[in-house]
Amino acid sequence: MDEFELLKKQWQSAEHEFPKLSYNDIYQMLLRKSSSIVKWIFFISIAELIFWTTIMFLIPDSYKEITTEMGIGGLMFYTNILHYCIFAGFIFFFYKNYRSIQVTDSTKELMHNILKTRKTVRYFVYYNIGMFILSSIVVSTIYYVHSNQLYEVMGFASKGVPRENFATIFIITQIAVGVVFLGLLMLFYWLIYGILLKRLKNNYKELKKIEK
Amino acid sequence: MNKELEHSFVTQLEENQNIVHKICRLYTNDSDAHNDLFQEITIQLWKAFPKFRGDSKFSTWMYRVALNTAITLYRKSKRSIKTQDFENVSFKITAEKYDDTIEEQLKLMYSAVKDLNDIDKALVFLYLEDKSYREISETLGITEVNARVKMNRIKEKLRKILNP
Repeated sequence: MDEFELLKKQWQSAEHEFPKLSYNDIYQMLLRKSSSIVKWIFFISIAELIFWTTIMFLIPDSYKEITTEMGIGGLMFYTNILHYCIFAGFIFFFYKNYRSIQVTDSTKELMHNILKTRKTVRYFVYYNIGMFILSSIVVSTIYYVHSNQLYEVMGFASKGVPRENFATIFIITQIAVGVVFLGLLMLFYWLIYGILLKRLKNNYKELKKIEK
Repeated sequence: MNKELEHSFVTQLEENQNIVHKICRLYTNDSDAHNDLFQEITIQLWKAFPKFRGDSKFSTWMYRVALNTAITLYRKSKRSIKTQDFENVSFKITAEKYDDTIEEQLKLMYSAVKDLNDIDKALVFLYLEDKSYREISETLGITEVNARVKMNRIKEKLRKILNP
């Protein structure tokens, strides 16, 4: 008999070594909470949606006044409506993916579905980052072009801000803040989704390798 | 919650709990993690149970859900320190014709199996459970031929560890 048959025999006879859980032990477990990866991905994305929506509402009124006086109030309004429609679409897809994941699928299928969920998350991330960059550029450009008007609207003259270098300083500040924020955003996504899905990706690669 | 369904589930899981214990033994390194994974598998089994039609055996269905949980759904707790507890695994070899070296070899083999990656471990596990290659391929979602080829490669790898 080779080693494997021996191991198989030993393996099958080793059952008495395990702790024996009672009916009640198992019953108690049904009441506890799951910590599965899919559930976490779903909850984190929902939390994220809530987070972004809250941020939108937290924008101070004074800022909104500036956008109105600068003449881009309407633009902002319609952009926001579009933005929320796209958000709603993402929520729908997240939910659909979450429901489509069946623990009774074959391992490969299951992993494929989870990675598909991740793809939706990734598009969501791309969309958010892209939207952030695009809107920053558009708003900054408008403000830069109309820097004289902005200077008046923000009442910098009374605050003693010199008019000469205002436009340049303004645009540099915008870019610097934008880049820092973008960095934080990317770090956040990398930490949350990257780490959560790393092991899964490796396992999926292993399965793909077998198929080759 | 449906009491009858609950009772039926818990009774069947109680009977077949060794399957889950074995998977936990392979995929975790200490008793805390073992219990964590056992619980997660129980929850996943329970969530999927209403869809269990009974067209396969309860245990067959369990293999799939339990392995899927161990490989794909379970977040390994960061607390667990990577230690190999194979020293504590006692292979009780009763037949007189086996000597200590065989027991040593089995220990070595067991520790080598624990060091395999998640997928290879699943293959070996199903093999040790005496599952056919058809069942193995269906559970993992690969073809039967690939399962066979892969298993032979793993055997070869383990053999090299045993007889360097």
